[in-house]
Amino acid sequence: MIRLVGVTRTYEVGGRPVHALAGIDEHIAPGEHVAIMGPSGSGKSTLLNVIGCLDRPSSGRYVLAGRDVSELGERELDLVRRNDIGFIFQSFHLVGRLSALENVELPLLFAGVGRRERRERAVKALSAVGLADRATHRPDQLSGGERQRTAIARALVTQPKVLLADEPTGNLDTKSGGQVLDLLDRLHHEGITLVVVTHDPNVARRAERLIVLVDGRIAKRLPAAEVRSLDELFAPAPTRDTP
Amino acid sequence: MIELVGFSLRALSAHRLRTGLSMLGIAIGVASVVLLTSIGEGTRQYVFSQFNQFGTNLLSINPGKSETIGIPGVLGGSTQKLTIDDALAIERLPEVDYVVPTIFGAAEVEAEGRARSVFVYGVTPAIEPVWKVYVRQGSFWPTIDPREEMSAAILGPTLKRELFGAKNALGEFVRISGSRFRVVGIMNERGSLLGIDVDDTIYIPSASAMRLLNQDEITELHVQFNPGLPTAQVVKRVKAVLTARHGREDYTLNTQEAMLSVFGNVMTAITGAVGAIAGISLLVGAIGILTTMWIAVGERTHEIGLLRALGAAEDQVRRAFLTEAATLAAAGGALGLAIGLGLCAILRAAVPGLPVETPLAFAVAAIGVSTLTGLAAGVLPARRAAKMNPVEALRAD
Amino acid sequence: MRALDLFRFAAGALTRHLLRSGLSLLGVAIGVTAVVVLVSLGESARRYVLDQFASIGNNLLIVVPGKTETSGAFPGLGGAPNDLTLADVAALKRQVRGVADVAAMSAGTETVEARDRRRQVAVLGATDNFLRVRRLELARGEFLPSDEAERGRAVAVIGTQVARELFPGADPIGQVIRIGSWRFRVIGLVAPMGTQLGINIDEIVIVPVATGLKMFNRTSLFRVMVELAPGADAEETERRVVALLTERHGEEDVTVLSQDSVVSAASGILRALTLAIGAIAGISLAVAGIGILNVMLVSVTERTREVGLLRALGAGRGQVLWVFLIEAALLSSVGGLVGLAAGAGLTALFGQIFPALAGPPPAWAAAAAFLTALSTGVTFGLLPARRAARLDPVEALRTSK
Repeated sequence: MIRLVGVTRTYEVGGRPVHALAGIDEHIAPGEHVAIMGPSGSGKSTLLNVIGCLDRPSSGRYVLAGRDVSELGERELDLVRRNDIGFIFQSFHLVGRLSALENVELPLLFAGVGRRERRERAVKALSAVGLADRATHRPDQLSGGERQRTAIARALVTQPKVLLADEPTGNLDTKSGGQVLDLLDRLHHEGITLVVVTHDPNVARRAERLIVLVDGRIAKRLPAAEVRSLDELFAPAPTRDTP
Repeated sequence: MIELVGFSLRALSAHRLRTGLSMLGIAIGVASVVLLTSIGEGTRQYVFSQFNQFGTNLLSINPGKSETIGIPGVLGGSTQKLTIDDALAIERLPEVDYVVPTIFGAAEVEAEGRARSVFVYGVTPAIEPVWKVYVRQGSFWPTIDPREEMSAAILGPTLKRELFGAKNALGEFVRISGSRFRVVGIMNERGSLLGIDVDDTIYIPSASAMRLLNQDEITELHVQFNPGLPTAQVVKRVKAVLTARHGREDYTLNTQEAMLSVFGNVMTAITGAVGAIAGISLLVGAIGILTTMWIAVGERTHEIGLLRALGAAEDQVRRAFLTEAATLAAAGGALGLAIGLGLCAILRAAVPGLPVETPLAFAVAAIGVSTLTGLAAGVLPARRAAKMNPVEALRAD
Repeated sequence: MRALDLFRFAAGALTRHLLRSGLSLLGVAIGVTAVVVLVSLGESARRYVLDQFASIGNNLLIVVPGKTETSGAFPGLGGAPNDLTLADVAALKRQVRGVADVAAMSAGTETVEARDRRRQVAVLGATDNFLRVRRLELARGEFLPSDEAERGRAVAVIGTQVARELFPGADPIGQVIRIGSWRFRVIGLVAPMGTQLGINIDEIVIVPVATGLKMFNRTSLFRVMVELAPGADAEETERRVVALLTERHGEEDVTVLSQDSVVSAASGILRALTLAIGAIAGISLAVAGIGILNVMLVSVTERTREVGLLRALGAGRGQVLWVFLIEAALLSSVGGLVGLAAGAGLTALFGQIFPALAGPPPAWAAAAAFLTALSTGVTFGLLPARRAARLDPVEALRTSK
């Protein structure tokens, strides 16, 4: 589903190049659930933005669902985001003046979907995240967990191939965080490709496998079962002999 | 106070584009008011100076009065014509320096095989001191009894040019409606007054003009009196003489003073109206400042909370925002004044004939009005800022 | 994105900040109101003047003795080289094709006396057809008899104001008045008309034209009014009139004013004045546009994160541009509509106070004011909208609130 070959992303900061991604080679299969971990500044958000076609690689190739998107123009990338990608953010990014339902409708609005169909699909998406009864509430009338579930419904409403989540539970308490993760698990089981950026091992543990980024490179690939906290991940490797 | 202005300036310069735009709104308003009123005021002053060169010690008398004289029992003959004899009677008054019995009408003037229809003025040599028009070349005909005709004429420079070109005209003859007149002088160049070329004329003695134009009374009588005397007193004396001669007041007397003040009032009213219409922009600009300040208060909620926590009183916060609005508007006003004056200068250079005059009072008023406008626009946002609960304001991010 | 959705989305954003949006809108509304009210007042004044001209008949040529090169100024204040005579009038009526009728006028000011009352009035000498040609009506009695022009019989028709002042409370018909040293019998009363083109019809006395000429010792007529035959070409007839008079006088010594040229000149001047005043008022629309620009800039800054989100959800730069542009357009067009309504209201109010200036705002002025407002809004909205569209989505999403 996602194939990255030698992907780099370089910014100019104060006239000096900063290599946020310094050559990433990775393949994520359809229906996979992958977690990306790494310390601040390791490039994990940049990687997610590149995968989400919000940002473009400075060099290298990116093939999404069999299509080379690294050469696409901006308008085509807009379409890719609109149709194939769903985003979930740490801070939800709901539009405060719109109701939950209207927030979910937003992507369809820009896709030019008619009003009635839009409403039907948004209601369905809200029901899928268990918020059918909160449709008319505005974000400030929803709890944190409800807000993030609304954001998930919004990400799903276009039936994307890939769901990208950046610290989806970062602003949530344990209980609502758990609900959100359960929801993501369910979606994964229904077949969606899921990429989650997190520093929380409890979030990463739910993935099938784990990618650890350091300084813009993939430092480690682990099965999710071997997930530990970041500190442990980067602690000097324990020698076998020590008990 | 100085600290307040400094504080405002720093706050304003934090949002340069927005501040600049709010200022620009006020500036456009002020500039258009300054420009338009300057044109109006310039025109007024120009016309005043045109008339003032005649002096204010002038009266004009026209025949006829359109008012019913409903005094029963008073008998009298038909209307008395306004005559040269009337003029001479008025001239005998000690208060009066000169009189000019004026007759004017259109006639065709021929010379050198060319003909031109122009205004003919029947006058006396007294027009030199009274109208302040002078013979440039040659000389006026001698002062004679104005009841007598004389075949002498003075040409306006335009008419001279049209009839004689560059050739000498003095001593030549012109024909006016069949009568021959000898050219004895050429008038000074006077240009055009309110769009009419006053040099395209010919001056002949009053009595000759009356015969030529087939008129049995004078069109207008100009009286110049001793400038040291009050106008009202002279008017009374002149009226007494003329009313005694005519049996009643069957003429209309205007003073230069009254005409100028009527004209001045009209011009001031027009200038005021146009200025007010341009001032609508100033009002809209003020609304712009109100909007900007309202937004600024919202954005700086946290800052306001901090100020209050640091011990600023409600009143101080209010004053800080009022000062900010007033500073914004005053700067806009100053900018507008500069733009307005610049446009005036450009206009003066581009259209030399257009009188443009910006009185200092306008300039001061422009800044003053815009500052007041800013203060007024600042009241609402300043109140909003002052009324904020400091605890909640601090919590806002 | 569908147009309607775009509007709803923009409107939603605007209603979020009611005061701010309202103030921006108010600026536009004030500008549009000012333009509409001032232009409709100017247009009403123009119509009023045109009506005045129309009331004296729109098929007239006016012949004035004398000719000056100075265009525009009324010539013929005094005598002219050759007299314009009643014989000329007869010739015009007889010989010129396209002329339906010719009325002659003489003019002067005299004292009119009746019993013990006396006043100065304008005395008009006129031919019998003057009433019809000049489109006046009689209130009472009859007009000057038809064959009296040459003989100059001693009858007069007077204006209502003159009648009121000379014969308060009495019937003027059949009474005798003295004009100067002449005696006249009053045979008619002109219906009140008020002032038309500077002449107060209610304050004149009309006598037969020959009598009028004799009374003031004049040989030349004051004005000759030539009524065109239906369907006659005004310019062609004017040429023929001038040609005939030039032939009779041996030179071209008259000025012919056609109704059309005078009316179109006056109308043109008034329209130019109206446009100038409208334009001055229109400056406020530019200022209102700057207000919109400011508010939209603030809005874009505040909503940077929203822009980032919209881009992440697949909105293109173009769509973001439209969202903000439509907002600016909505501000200005709603402001414009409010201004149009206020302008129409104020105009109606003025119409109530000054009935002479009553009349709805001209459609072109309303349309021009509204379109100016709208285009100002869109023009000034373009900068913030482009700024929003150019935001980098990644940066925009990262912006702290």
